[in-house]
Amino acid sequence: MNDSWPVVLEDVSYSIGAAQLVRAVSMNFAANRMNVILGPNGAGKSTLMRIAAGRLAPTSGRVTYGDDNVRAIEPRVLALRRAFLSQHVEIDFAITVEEVVLMGRYPHFSGTPSAHDREVVHDALRLVGMTSRRRQAYPTLSGGEQQKVQLARVLAQIWREEDKPTPRILFLDEPTASLDIHYQLHILDIARSFLQRNCTIVMTLHDLNLAAEYGDRFFLMHQGMLVHVAEGRGNLARDTLEQVFDVRTRMLADDRGNLAFRFFL
Amino acid sequence: MLTRLSRAQVYLLLLLCLAVALVASSAIGAFAFSPARMLRFVEEGLGLAPAQAADTLDRNVFLTLRLPRVVLCGFTGAALGVSGTLMQGLFRNPIVEPGLAGTSAGAALGAALLFVFGHSALSYTAPLGTAALPLVAFLGAFAATMLVYRLSTLFGRTDVLTLLLAGIAVNAVCNAGTGLLSFLARDPQARNITFWNLGTFTTANWHGSLLVGVVFLFCYALISRHGKVLNALMLGEDDAAFLGIDPERVVFRLLLVNTLMVAVATSMVGVIAFVGLVVPHVLRLLKSSDYTFLIPAAALFGATLMELVDVVARLIIRPAELPIGIITAIVGAPIFLWILLSQRRVRT
Repeated sequence: MNDSWPVVLEDVSYSIGAAQLVRAVSMNFAANRMNVILGPNGAGKSTLMRIAAGRLAPTSGRVTYGDDNVRAIEPRVLALRRAFLSQHVEIDFAITVEEVVLMGRYPHFSGTPSAHDREVVHDALRLVGMTSRRRQAYPTLSGGEQQKVQLARVLAQIWREEDKPTPRILFLDEPTASLDIHYQLHILDIARSFLQRNCTIVMTLHDLNLAAEYGDRFFLMHQGMLVHVAEGRGNLARDTLEQVFDVRTRMLADDRGNLAFRFFL
Repeated sequence: MLTRLSRAQVYLLLLLCLAVALVASSAIGAFAFSPARMLRFVEEGLGLAPAQAADTLDRNVFLTLRLPRVVLCGFTGAALGVSGTLMQGLFRNPIVEPGLAGTSAGAALGAALLFVFGHSALSYTAPLGTAALPLVAFLGAFAATMLVYRLSTLFGRTDVLTLLLAGIAVNAVCNAGTGLLSFLARDPQARNITFWNLGTFTTANWHGSLLVGVVFLFCYALISRHGKVLNALMLGEDDAAFLGIDPERVVFRLLLVNTLMVAVATSMVGVIAFVGLVVPHVLRLLKSSDYTFLIPAAALFGATLMELVDVVARLIIRPAELPIGIITAIVGAPIFLWILLSQRRVRT
């Protein structure tokens, strides 16, 4: 078991027909760190996330969690080791917030949920600040509230178990897309707090400043290829960013001296 | 979520309603029976009490016509209710039911083929005997359902419009086929097809009733274990997969089981639309959209509703009977429109 690299992608490629979406990508995601995959639309980020999470089988190459090839792990066991938050989950049925979060516990019980499962649901709802809405129907929530409930669901899925604190992986695929800035910061803060719970996070994010703010390790993708890896936001190569995103950048300092990107064409 | 009743209380209520419906459906009709007489007939039928010669006609009507009809009606209603619930879960949409998704029309086409060609071209089905009808109905139903499912989920999440259009197209093709067959058919077969398309319990016999019952119980046992899976599928296939479910495989299997359940019932009673739509809809309003609750509840409520509609069908133009599919369509179509419109309103 490799403690510092819980997720390793080796020479991963993925194609559908003639289209090569991911080309020979090798990445190591650092343990208990926020690993951020950046890249313009169509760079292959979402495909790569689904391959890394074991949902898609790579055309060639392999993904390993510790010593195990992810495709060889039994689905229910895999669900105990990693969770995945999608961009937006729409539900057409009047199911309560509590019932949605309980779904995160499905891999943990068969039949009816235990008292512990109920407790985790309760704690997860409190963590995202949705306890008072627990009996409300999910479709009646705003987009930001729905995303908080989905976050509670995936956190409940990989909630730290006191008796077996195994390393777990949390994938966030554009978790804040189309949300108000308040929800964006709130969701990323909560996610980041899970780094202290022996959790490794792998995230894609459109907003480069937000990514730089929250990320520890950056992977820049372009046309299916990995073109740049940076440890810490200070090491993000501006010239590569400019090339990949086809923009020019300037650095601005805020009133506390923190630097932020400003983009223009 | 109209009630604050607990699950157990809702189940108890539904059981009570079913019991009342079963007694009413057994007692009411062209021949009416008091509870005491029904009890005596059952005892006599089972050989527990000596038969009274004066009651021979009534007893025969009750034991060989009424009782198998009540049993068939109950199991058919339960099958349609569970099927509608299951299909709404698999298609991730509350407007789906076997009638919409082509399952019933496909089964009807299969059965019509057998009615018309059963004595000539398809005579190799003869060794199958009475199993031939459920079998061809199953094949037709499965082909039609898979076609609608594949079309409507072509672009990931089930799109309502694509689903409706796919359902309309597949139903139209199946109905055209059935229509062509009844055009080609000679009189007895053509009448069979017509009756069958309207749905009826008048032809009930013990053999068919028990077949539907056994198949239903078998399918129900498989389906009822998948409540959590159906809940997870509400999130979409990808997010269900991240919870440790193999969505492609489980959807295919459940569609297969569902088709078996619907096709066998449909092969005995014909096409009865909208029961599969109304049953889960009422239960969702009553308590919850949680499938671990809905599936058992849909079996109980589906049976209850079917018994009550059948009583109406027997009484409304007494002494004749109205085909039951006509009643369910008249009541169900407006409810379908209502659900569709309220769903569109939520969207926009």
